[in-house]
Amino acid sequence: MEAIITSGLEQGLLYCFMVLGVYITFRVLDFPDLTVDGSLPLGAAVTAAMISGGQSPWTATLAGVAAGLCAGFVTGILHLLLGLGSSGSAAANYGAKLLAGILTMTGLYTVNLRVMGKSNTPLLGLDGVFEQIEDLFGVAMSGWNLIIALVALAVIVKYVIDWFLRTEFGLCLRATGDNEQMIRAMGTNTAFTRIVGLGIANALVALTGALVAQQQGFADVGMGIGTIVAGLAGVIMGEVLFGERSVSWVLFSVIGGSIVYRLLIAVSLRLGIAPTDLKLLTAVLVVIALSIPTVRKKVVRI
Amino acid sequence: MSRPASLELQAVRKVFFPGTANEVVALNGIDLEVPVGQFVSIIGSNGSGKSTLLNTIAGMYPVSSGCVLLDGVDVTRQREFQRSRLIGRVFQDPTAGTAPSMTIEENLAISFMRERRSGLRLGVTNRRREFMRTHLEPLGMGLEHRLKAQVNKLSGGQRQAMSLLMATESEPSILLLDEHTAALDPKVAATIMDLTAKMVSERGLTTLMVTHNMELALRYGERLIMMHEGRVVLDLGPTEKEALQVSDLIDMFHKVAGEAFAVDRLLLE
Repeated sequence: MEAIITSGLEQGLLYCFMVLGVYITFRVLDFPDLTVDGSLPLGAAVTAAMISGGQSPWTATLAGVAAGLCAGFVTGILHLLLGLGSSGSAAANYGAKLLAGILTMTGLYTVNLRVMGKSNTPLLGLDGVFEQIEDLFGVAMSGWNLIIALVALAVIVKYVIDWFLRTEFGLCLRATGDNEQMIRAMGTNTAFTRIVGLGIANALVALTGALVAQQQGFADVGMGIGTIVAGLAGVIMGEVLFGERSVSWVLFSVIGGSIVYRLLIAVSLRLGIAPTDLKLLTAVLVVIALSIPTVRKKVVRI
Repeated sequence: MSRPASLELQAVRKVFFPGTANEVVALNGIDLEVPVGQFVSIIGSNGSGKSTLLNTIAGMYPVSSGCVLLDGVDVTRQREFQRSRLIGRVFQDPTAGTAPSMTIEENLAISFMRERRSGLRLGVTNRRREFMRTHLEPLGMGLEHRLKAQVNKLSGGQRQAMSLLMATESEPSILLLDEHTAALDPKVAATIMDLTAKMVSERGLTTLMVTHNMELALRYGERLIMMHEGRVVLDLGPTEKEALQVSDLIDMFHKVAGEAFAVDRLLLE
């Protein structure tokens, strides 16, 4: 039982940065960004390749995050270029957002293979950031110790995002997703705010990739498949279970959602569900969660 | 702070879908000079080009030919967000001028930074809150006590008052009002119109107000312009305007347009 809880918490906290990134694109920017399926393994690939190349794991992790930032920039720039040719209708604009993410994600598959030189980079016997923390403080980075360290990092990242979204630039970024026409009329270049927002979101996603690679001891080109769905599951569960009374609060909700989602996965695995069936299970979960408001409305009408 | 500016349009043409079967000449050679601080009302039937005129001044889309000058500076080639630093706009839809899921104080903070690049300072500070309260109080809607309320919890009139406040916050060079009271119920519309007149006169804003309502057009503003088929067909100054009644205006429209006058919302309001 405790094993289920600790592994669920561990995974939930490792993936909460990705879920925060998905929250920023989907909810704050109103941009369904599919880049994340590529930027998560990008963070992992860059970090793993640099560590196995003899670099410090701290530098490697930072480089992984920076790579994710650039991936987000690319999606933002592609959206700007694609959007220029569109009719400007809401549907066309939505299409441009989806397509921009898909293009970057597809391109990143090749980039990730190139970065690693193969489809999988093992980190056996090499120090990652967790091993370095072990050496520094003399405590084993596993179980509850690891969880406490990850909670500390999650809280720091949460407060940095919280602060950022309340700065002047952060307000413009939120307004870009909330009422783009109005914020443009206020003199904000929404193409720029969107590019920056996408960059930050994908940097967070890549952070998860970098940490997961070091924690599980390898980076794999296929580890990003389904990231967007898992991210959405975390965001929606967080909002439904813990509420969204303010931006500051919803950031905690989303972290909670990530943990609940991974706990569910851990329990499912324990109940004997094959790991290969998890993606379908997640997809079904997201469909159910997304349809709750519609179903509720229909029921009320009847 | 910018300051009210003069506006000049020189032979502005705007053609939508040029060269196709759907070609529409929305503006057909507009020449217009508005001196600093003038309040102009613009009327015309549906499709006469009133809204296109405002959108063209705001830079929402490029002109087909002609120039737009603010204080003598050609801004025709400037992009919308660049020009927006100088132009305040309020739209017909009360939800258009504010960010719905953000709070009152966050929305106002955005309007404070219209003219400069937004940085990494906190958007809402206690000093700014004080400033916001002093600006919200004259609206008489009690919004100064609800700074942390989400804007989507406000009524249409309250949201439109917010939009107006945000559009005029940094004394825009030009204020563009696009039927900004048309979607409100009559009592609220009157309140917003009074607020508008007060803000415009207090700050001496150069203002263009598009309206369907002839009575509003006659009562407010120092100058009245009537548009028809993408042209300015009537341009009246304050003295001519004062002597006019709605019925005179309709007669004039018949004469100028030279065709049957569609009985639309103009007459109903």
